[in-house]
Amino acid sequence: MNNGLEYAMHDWYPVAIEGELEIGQSRQTRLLGEQLELRCDDSVCDASVCDASQRAGNTGDSVGTITIFSNGRKLPVQRAFNHLWTTLSEKPRELFAISEAQEPGRRLVPCGVVRVKCSPLRAVENFLDIAHFPFVHTDVLGAEPHTEVYKYDVRIDDTDDEVIASNIRFYQPQASKSSSGGIETQYIYRVPAPMAAVLYKTCPPKPEAMDVIAIFVQPLDEETCNVWPWMALYDDVSSMADLIQFQQLIFLQDRSILENQIPRRLPLDPKMEIPTRADLTSVAYRRWLKRHSAWYGAQISIDSLQNHSEGPNAHELAE
Amino acid sequence: MTTTPVALARDLPVQRVMRAQVDGCDLAIWRGISGQVQAWENRCPHRGMRLSYGFVRQDSLACAYHGWHYNCEAVCHYIPAHPELQPPASIKPVTYSVVEHQGVLWVNTRNEAEVPEFPEDSIGIRSITFDCPLSVAFEACLAAQLSDEAGLSLSPRQLGDAPLILSFGNQQQADSVLLLFQPSDLANVVIHVLAHHSYSVDGRIGISQWCESVRRQAELNHEVAMNAGMECTHE
Ligand code: FES
Ligand SMILES: [Fe+2]
Repeated sequence: MNNGLEYAMHDWYPVAIEGELEIGQSRQTRLLGEQLELRCDDSVCDASVCDASQRAGNTGDSVGTITIFSNGRKLPVQRAFNHLWTTLSEKPRELFAISEAQEPGRRLVPCGVVRVKCSPLRAVENFLDIAHFPFVHTDVLGAEPHTEVYKYDVRIDDTDDEVIASNIRFYQPQASKSSSGGIETQYIYRVPAPMAAVLYKTCPPKPEAMDVIAIFVQPLDEETCNVWPWMALYDDVSSMADLIQFQQLIFLQDRSILENQIPRRLPLDPKMEIPTRADLTSVAYRRWLKRHSAWYGAQISIDSLQNHSEGPNAHELAE
Repeated sequence: MTTTPVALARDLPVQRVMRAQVDGCDLAIWRGISGQVQAWENRCPHRGMRLSYGFVRQDSLACAYHGWHYNCEAVCHYIPAHPELQPPASIKPVTYSVVEHQGVLWVNTRNEAEVPEFPEDSIGIRSITFDCPLSVAFEACLAAQLSDEAGLSLSPRQLGDAPLILSFGNQQQADSVLLLFQPSDLANVVIHVLAHHSYSVDGRIGISQWCESVRRQAELNHEVAMNAGMECTHE
């Protein structure tokens, strides 16, 4: 039996873009298999339930107050990174930080939502992967013959309990909306929660800084998710619509892959799927999920439960 | 597990890949530049991508996700992320036995594929998917009237049950029509339709249209049966 819910229910998840609902509107959605109702009204909010939303800087003007119900129960709500977040837990873990969200001069861009029929964990793993760029995002994030993934570093940061991959470089024909030609792009990835991932990449117009792109994944159930991409960029040239369109195109290309991976859930049994050196981030991610028993959206076989080894070493496999 | 027809051979040209299902088993079927056909489990050993979305280069099938190349021996010989690397021999997709015989591709997911005997002078007309279980499709085909170009009615005869083959014809004449059944999963059947090569173009079009009317009838029968079943459970 998969009891990954045990871990997953104590995290925060995005359910809407801030300001997207107008006063008087309501919306249905799902989270971890539960039906949710979001309501936006102009009433004063109940401090005990949504004090997080006040703290996060809800100015309370035209935005309205969002209340989220699940089976008649009011859920906690908070605003962060231009999204509304909620949790099924009474004692949730703290939502991770992205300090760049506060940096002056960055444009914060919520990119909408992409519904994907795949495990939320598969969506995160795909986001951590660079080897697919030449094949899935051809002529944009990658192109043959520049397919090589050079050696990079991966570690699990014990203080923050995050997976971190760094020193990644990859040739890209059009790294972002603001780039005009091919460049070698530098990447850093972090996975601050099982269903969120943040990347930092070379920012063409401002070489000393890095653009930030994240995906926040809302698990509807173990095999369906909403992906909410978000960016914090130094780009004051491109229009908001162009920036969003560029990211949407990228994620739609990813969706065509994600909906065709077998099985739909992420297999944690190391014998199921074979990694190479380019997959070190994914290998670390899977180990980290296993370590936390964060199994919501994972496929667990008898084997992977009994077998205490953490799976093959990708170095050995590829060298 | 028996040998099952999965496609008309002419629907899989060289350097192409297609998807087929046999009893719920998902397959990638592809043909390299040398013409040889392969039938593999539709799952890339790397990260599980359906191989039927891949592309064929020369005599290799490349996966759509990270471009790993697999040759006709189902050996991964190229990983683009590590161009210099000789991939470990352990990276192999699951393969099945497939043969091309009389214009039809036959697969066996357990054993060696063995093709059944049937009249040799037929050519492929089309493959058509029925959105209903095998038994319903078979009943509908059996009950449908079919006549040849001269208007002579053709009588159905079951040639085999594994694979299921239905032949329509008059024993003496070169006018037989063959239906080869591919149970793709519990809810769908693909029927590969062949006919004697002497049928004219119009005759072939007629057979094709006949198939569509039988399909409508089969799907209707299935719907009626389902609704009747629902009423029963409500009582
Ligand atoms: S999933 Fe096929 S190459 Fe990666
Ligand atoms: Fe991608």
